[in-house]
Amino acid sequence: MKPSPSFAFEASAVYRLPLAAGLSKQGPFVTIKNHDRLTSVEVIQDNFEKRGYICNPQIATAVFLAYHLEKPILIEGPPGVGKTELAKTAAEMLELPCIRLQCYEGLDESKAIYEWKYGKQLLYTQVLKETLSEILEGAKGLTDSVAKLHEFGDVFFSEDFLEPRPLLKALKAEDSCVLLIDEVDKSDHEFESLLLELLSDYQLSIPEIGTIVANPDRKPLVFLTSNNTREISDALKRRCLHLYIPFPDATLESRIVHARVPDVPEKLRTQLVTFIQELREMDLKKVPAISETIDWARTLILLHTESLDSELVRQTLNVILKFQEDIETVEAEIQNVTNKALKQ
Amino acid sequence: MDRTLVDFVKVLRTAEIKVSPAETLDAMQTLNIVGYEDRQFLKNSLSIVLSKTPEEKEAFDSCFDRYFSFNKFKPEESEQESSDDQFDDGEFDQDAKGEAQPGGKGSGQASGQGGGEEASEEDQSLQPTSELGKLLLSGDRTELSIAMAEAGRQAEVNQIVVFTQKGLYTRKIMDAMGLKELQDEISELQSEGGRERQNLADKLKKARDRLREQVRDYVEKQFFLHADESGKQLREELLKKVKLSNLEKRNFKDVQEVVFKMAKKLISIHSKRRKTYKRGQLDVRKTLRHNMQYDGMFFDIKWKASKVDRPKVMCICDVSGSVSNYSRFLLMFLYSLAEILPKVRSFAFSSDLGEVTRLFDNSNLEDAMAKTMRDYGNGSTDYGQMLMDFKHQCMDDVNNRTTIIILGDSRNNYGDAKSEILREMYDKSKRVIWLNPEPKMSWSVGDAEMKKYAPCCHQVEVCNSLTHLERVVSNLLRYAY
Repeated sequence: MKPSPSFAFEASAVYRLPLAAGLSKQGPFVTIKNHDRLTSVEVIQDNFEKRGYICNPQIATAVFLAYHLEKPILIEGPPGVGKTELAKTAAEMLELPCIRLQCYEGLDESKAIYEWKYGKQLLYTQVLKETLSEILEGAKGLTDSVAKLHEFGDVFFSEDFLEPRPLLKALKAEDSCVLLIDEVDKSDHEFESLLLELLSDYQLSIPEIGTIVANPDRKPLVFLTSNNTREISDALKRRCLHLYIPFPDATLESRIVHARVPDVPEKLRTQLVTFIQELREMDLKKVPAISETIDWARTLILLHTESLDSELVRQTLNVILKFQEDIETVEAEIQNVTNKALKQ
Repeated sequence: MDRTLVDFVKVLRTAEIKVSPAETLDAMQTLNIVGYEDRQFLKNSLSIVLSKTPEEKEAFDSCFDRYFSFNKFKPEESEQESSDDQFDDGEFDQDAKGEAQPGGKGSGQASGQGGGEEASEEDQSLQPTSELGKLLLSGDRTELSIAMAEAGRQAEVNQIVVFTQKGLYTRKIMDAMGLKELQDEISELQSEGGRERQNLADKLKKARDRLREQVRDYVEKQFFLHADESGKQLREELLKKVKLSNLEKRNFKDVQEVVFKMAKKLISIHSKRRKTYKRGQLDVRKTLRHNMQYDGMFFDIKWKASKVDRPKVMCICDVSGSVSNYSRFLLMFLYSLAEILPKVRSFAFSSDLGEVTRLFDNSNLEDAMAKTMRDYGNGSTDYGQMLMDFKHQCMDDVNNRTTIIILGDSRNNYGDAKSEILREMYDKSKRVIWLNPEPKMSWSVGDAEMKKYAPCCHQVEVCNSLTHLERVVSNLLRYAY
């Protein structure tokens, strides 16, 4: 992504803007660890690449903006394009802990935010029974004892008895963290609404204790992923940056394979990427994603392959295709597609 | 600068990208961080902030390209290449080229220098006096573009709605840029005679014509940006309100689109399955199971809840000539809602009733409609026969969860109304809704039997436009619990 010098805006032309304020002047808003790895899109791309995650400018831009605008990213795209991987790599890059919340149907606040340690509360009430009578000694009448008890406040509903779940943990993390909320679309509508407070204000309310706010200088970097099995509500979308990761083009995919499976000779790599790209054009129930390409590359290495041939493809087809129907559809075309791949 | 962005957001909204004010604010913040230096970077950033589905992203890309494109003034023949750069960079790159070209605006005698070196030599003594004339001859195309955009804003070109306004807005913009003074000057120069003056007048004329073309181009672009989609919206609004029987075949495709949009909205509103909690009724089993983890102490008490069922809809449509259009769109509506209304059974009749559910399951909407019309569409309407057929065919399937929708004008050709069967349906089902496309006043005029049927329905509605249909279906979903 090179800055193109020959470019101007029609509508903006009327206003004489000073050169838009660069980042260096504004300085980073947030001081999390290793924030220097987020100073520009190119830096992010480089840093991701060092960790084996090849990304296009859009992805890097999203991470860049998420950090500078302090907004969560909602990542959508077909399965296996590296949505979850992006969050994990970001955590690795910033050397922050990655707290992950896997969503599923029926997930509720006691699993996602906090829960009271009932057992502990129970145990303590039992143990403290005797202490209680000591405290109440000398109190006359019921009102007096109740007043005395009130002095102790809500001992059993304090943070000591609170079991933090991923979302709360992320808020309370000392040096910030990366919070990954995986497959939001699998959760219920109610859960989406639960997330809103966290996503817009980086805070959570617990009735018995109050509002817990993230350290304003160390807000967690939040990633949400969705496979689009259902429409995410507008309220949630509005609070997030939206990143769509499509299947990569041939060059990008080739680079990804190279980064992940460096042993693959270049010739084979071009062939297998072309083959996969061809498959994606076909009418399949589930087209192979990047993760399948990588698996296949590994398989071919294990089999000491130098170059694709149709017999080999036939035997290893089950690595890239996960439905019998698809395998049957492709088998008829193998010769054709392999030849195309070999021509490259 | 904010105005540019707000205008852009407006353009996005006409292109059916939902941008909330909060998101606009986000976009402004993004601008502060990203800046204008790098077009691709800016595009990526705004796309991430403003567009929230893959479809929206696509629309965003084309909007961005169209909105932030610069109207290039075609370079004059005599012009040097170097000024091209100056133009492209616009305001962002002022240092280098700025020195080379003193830019015609400031010092009086310098104006015209940038334009054509050899031309200015002979006209040294003669300079255009009007602002626009100076600008045109100075050849500073950036300045010219800016002036045009400014004039465009004054003329409120973003309010353009229909293409016939193009001429009007071109004229307005030209006026705002100072066409009148230029004209005066040209005629003055011409009347005074003299070779040099004539020359200058000719040059100005040429420049003026070129400018007019540019402005026309500019207006055209603005039209595509602002009006193309809003024209469509206008049409859709109209379609929603028009009487369905007045629709012509060529409109069907548009209407179908509108129906799908409405259906999508309804789906997103109603897709959540509701539970009603009967507070006060303890769910013993659930409570026991759940509280095992707390040593059997009942900390967390569970109440009985029942899931609210989706309505089972049976839809009986009159498909005789007069009402067939309404039936078509009602069915279209119901089947677009398949995601949240999975169990729709549909029947068609003019005299004999037949179930057409299969047809709709197996083929697409268009074919199914056509087949239905072919099989049931002719014959005189007989509501009595229809009710008898219904009783024979599927009265047994009607239970207290069934909602029956009947669409028809109840014009029975003076036959036996058989309203007692409808009464039976009323008793057995959860709800009977009668939709009548005719206005209320004609419900009991002539052979219409509405008076007899109405007491046997839970709900009777006039229904003759898409808006009505939407309301009926929405109520159906809302109160079905």
